[in-house]
Amino acid sequence: MATPGCKDFQNNFESWMEGELPPDARAHVTDCRSCARLIEDLGSIRLAANEWNASEEPPARLWTSIRTQLVEEGLIHEPQSESAKAGWLQGWFPRLPRPVLAGAYLAALVAIAFSLVGPVTRRVNHHRWAEDMQNSTAMVSAQLDTAEQTTGFADFDPEATASLHQNLAIVDNYISLCEKSVQEDPEDEMARDYLYDAYHQKADLLAQISERGEYGR
Amino acid sequence: MNTPHYLPSQWNWKAAGLLVPGLLLCGVVPASAERLEKHFKVDAAPVVTIHNPDGVITVRAWTKHEVMVVANRASSEVDLEIEQSGNRVDIMTHQVSDTVSPADLRADYEISVPQDAELQIHDDSGAVSVSNVLGDMNVETVAAGVELQDSAGYLTVKTVGGSFQCVRCAGHLDISSISGNFRLIDIHSNHVHAQTSKGNILFDGEFLPNGNYFLRNYSGDITVRFSPGDSFDLSASSYKGKVNNQAQLTPPAQGHHFWHPKFGNSLFGSLNFGRAKIDLSSFDGTINILKRN
Repeated sequence: MATPGCKDFQNNFESWMEGELPPDARAHVTDCRSCARLIEDLGSIRLAANEWNASEEPPARLWTSIRTQLVEEGLIHEPQSESAKAGWLQGWFPRLPRPVLAGAYLAALVAIAFSLVGPVTRRVNHHRWAEDMQNSTAMVSAQLDTAEQTTGFADFDPEATASLHQNLAIVDNYISLCEKSVQEDPEDEMARDYLYDAYHQKADLLAQISERGEYGR
Repeated sequence: MNTPHYLPSQWNWKAAGLLVPGLLLCGVVPASAERLEKHFKVDAAPVVTIHNPDGVITVRAWTKHEVMVVANRASSEVDLEIEQSGNRVDIMTHQVSDTVSPADLRADYEISVPQDAELQIHDDSGAVSVSNVLGDMNVETVAAGVELQDSAGYLTVKTVGGSFQCVRCAGHLDISSISGNFRLIDIHSNHVHAQTSKGNILFDGEFLPNGNYFLRNYSGDITVRFSPGDSFDLSASSYKGKVNNQAQLTPPAQGHHFWHPKFGNSLFGSLNFGRAKIDLSSFDGTINILKRN
């Protein structure tokens, strides 16, 4: 549960991510496992994102979407200034790859979603935990569906295109099966693990489908 | 240095003597396959990249410090770009126009490389075959199957629907697919990470001391063959499927920790001294741990 310390920290953690480390913030992260974990997760995502070669900016809706999700989950709060509103996440991912990077941002979303859920032992209230899980998976699932609708198939190679369609259907089927298993027992780590993998696989496949249109023509 | 030779397939002067008059008589220029051969002098551990949408790619190692590329394109609707830059040879098939038919998009390559060459191959459909290359390798395909033989180094293979077979491979294997089957035969590797969704996985190789063997799928069979003298810690879990085991396992050695799932069919234990670590998992597939004949 967020304490006043957590709220203060989260209101200003964009500065932290940009390298400003005030003593009181450092002290808070040292004491607060929740905030420390948040910083660690987002730092990992930023690091991974920076490793991708960038040539185009991701769509603005991506940032809006991620931010909205974090705000809804209560992990961050709307910044006070317009300038901060415009660029907080762009600052972390200064050279994120092209939107094909569907894989990139969806993977980030998946990571965030699952980090919100956390290990079973961190949640005392079963119902709240199950609800969080359902919300998180619904969000990721919706994002993947949106990405799928906006991803175009390059059809110059029918065999490859057919294979991509077929395998996308396979992954969708596994997502359905895993979601069902997770809904039946949200505490089952194995089912969650497989669901995470299936989401990740779909994001990766959508990225691959997008990238195919970039070469060969 | 390179020596380009643009010649129609099966070209020779005797054939030319027959073909040219024939063409002159008919007044037709064939839009047939075209063969291109190039040679590049390289130093130790050259890097060879191949980017081909559709076709068969065959790579073999030879003893020369040279990369030889023999390309056959289905039509002039694709452009073959084969260039050397320092100790790197880049091979790329380009589509010339948007109206090209799928059949005309195909280009096949036969490539000879030094044994220590590093390969980066991207082939959507067709097939990829690599033999006797000991350098690092990265292969990505969509529908194309991949076959490696007597390879080593850091091997990363990623397919969407293509199958994968590795015979007598060593080094570090990292393989992933969605619906491809994997066959890993006579493997001598201390790191195997293989993951497919709707595919079978067969591992029939050595379990080296301190080796890690991670095999995972959603559905399909995972089959591992072992010898009674092998030494490993084993974790096998199928969430909704079965685990069949022929190994005489003892409880895991102290200090070795496996994550025990709450549900599903699971098996944990050690054979002999538990020197290698084997982790097998499936969602609703069957896991078979079978004694080698």
